[in-house]
Amino acid sequence: MSVATRLNRPPFKRSPVGRALTSQWGARLTSYVVFIIGWQLLAMLVERVPGPWETLDFIWREVSGGDLGGVRRGQFLEHFGATVPRFAIGLTTSFVVGTVVGIAIGSVSFVRALLSDVLLVFLALPAIIWAFLTVMWYGLGWEAPVYTVILSATPFVAVNVAQGVRAVSPELHRMSDAFGVPRNRRLRSLMLPAVTGYLFTGLRFAVIIGWNAVLLAEWFGATDGVGWRARLWYDAARYRGFIGWAIIFIVFIFLLDGLVLSPIQKRAFRWRKSASDEVDLEHGLADMEAIAKTPFL
Amino acid sequence: MATLKIENLTKTFHAHSKGGLPTRAIQDISFEMSGQVFVSLVGPSGCGKSTLLNIVSGVDTPSTGTVTVTQDGKKARLGYVFQDPRLLPWRTVMQNMLYVSDLHEEEGRANATKYLEMVGLEHAHEMYPGQLSGGMQQRVGIARAFSVSPDLLLMDEPFSHLDAITARSLREELQVMWNATKKTVLFVTHDVLEAVQLSNRIITLAHGGTVFDDTTVELPFPRKASDPDFAAHQAEILGRFEVMEAERAAAAG
Repeated sequence: MSVATRLNRPPFKRSPVGRALTSQWGARLTSYVVFIIGWQLLAMLVERVPGPWETLDFIWREVSGGDLGGVRRGQFLEHFGATVPRFAIGLTTSFVVGTVVGIAIGSVSFVRALLSDVLLVFLALPAIIWAFLTVMWYGLGWEAPVYTVILSATPFVAVNVAQGVRAVSPELHRMSDAFGVPRNRRLRSLMLPAVTGYLFTGLRFAVIIGWNAVLLAEWFGATDGVGWRARLWYDAARYRGFIGWAIIFIVFIFLLDGLVLSPIQKRAFRWRKSASDEVDLEHGLADMEAIAKTPFL
Repeated sequence: MATLKIENLTKTFHAHSKGGLPTRAIQDISFEMSGQVFVSLVGPSGCGKSTLLNIVSGVDTPSTGTVTVTQDGKKARLGYVFQDPRLLPWRTVMQNMLYVSDLHEEEGRANATKYLEMVGLEHAHEMYPGQLSGGMQQRVGIARAFSVSPDLLLMDEPFSHLDAITARSLREELQVMWNATKKTVLFVTHDVLEAVQLSNRIITLAHGGTVFDDTTVELPFPRKASDPDFAAHQAEILGRFEVMEAERAAAAG
């Protein structure tokens, strides 16, 4: 085939179905379908793995009511209603404290020297250690889950904010110096927007780590809440109950991310020409890599 | 109008590594400029032009010597146009203008609008820097510097990152703006054509950060590179550059 013939060939057109399947949504949908099929196959092969429909049925009964092995059902909202405020209080405190500590570490070398090793210790301690400690300190109740969230999530917010503060362009600082921009305006218009990307990365870490932390603390040190409820089904050796609650945990994080965090993030980054998920993911991965590889403080 | 007085200014940068030698960027420079003048500092790369501008703006400090910028005996207000526009990417054009303004919101907006119109960006108030071309961003940078009503305007190779056609168009716009405002301007460039086109006075710095030449340019505005007098002036300064390079080569042996 000559070059001219090839150039004159009409461009390849995909059918609407082909376009849908190769779109981003198509790719996501494909991953869900493959996951559910794989899960179903595993359930058919392994007796102790409940299938997706069986699990879904369990979740529905956990919401709507009934009885399973002598355990009263329909208490979903009661337990969820106990956990969410603990998680929200812990996460909000982590966000505020982590941001203040992060700004101090990022801007003042003395504070950086003072807190760098302390923060490293906190980062290295897994949530389960905090869960055990807080249960030993406070016993069964709401305190252990809340403090476990705060102790586990705050260092991740602080370290990300500190990195963000240190990454603010020195050229923009010099420009502000040259024009004599006042300190409060500089904080509002230069520092905070520059740190926003890192703040969101820190918040996402905090959400995931804080959620794990609240569940662990409730597992060991509460008399209600979703962590406690998951343990109940675990102790009763009801696999579909345990898996069902694990699915609920995952769905909660997905909803929180999709309905709360992503819209706020899109609004905060509307100045970017392409504020796409790819850019944000790239940003998040770069930060994770930075945390893993570099001496962050 | 502002007065800039530089006396016996020297700037030495400390060695970056242990055992390294300190670098002398500027050596014993003195000059004064005042009133409605457009002064260009020209010279080869590394001769201390930008360092001098940083010291004048207060971003950097001198090792020895003094720099004073006054306006009727008081501290003068400075404006700065950088090599790159240095705009806040998360703020709109108007917000970037207001970021450096001392005026109240309404007054600041009216003032910013006036200068954005002068650089042909009256339609871009609500656009973000990322939506503008490099030339448009630099126009915002110029409008921003003029908008603070500076007594002394510092410009550090503002067109060096732009393509030739955009740079030429911006030079012409700058001539118009300067003739309209008659600010005291200290302009750094390594482009002799640019210096002759814009300036009343050209100070040439030599390698090692010393003043090699200080000359006035008495050509009427607007200046065109095709004008024979313009070409003659440019050739004269380039000739002095050649002398400077020959002296340097002779000194180096």
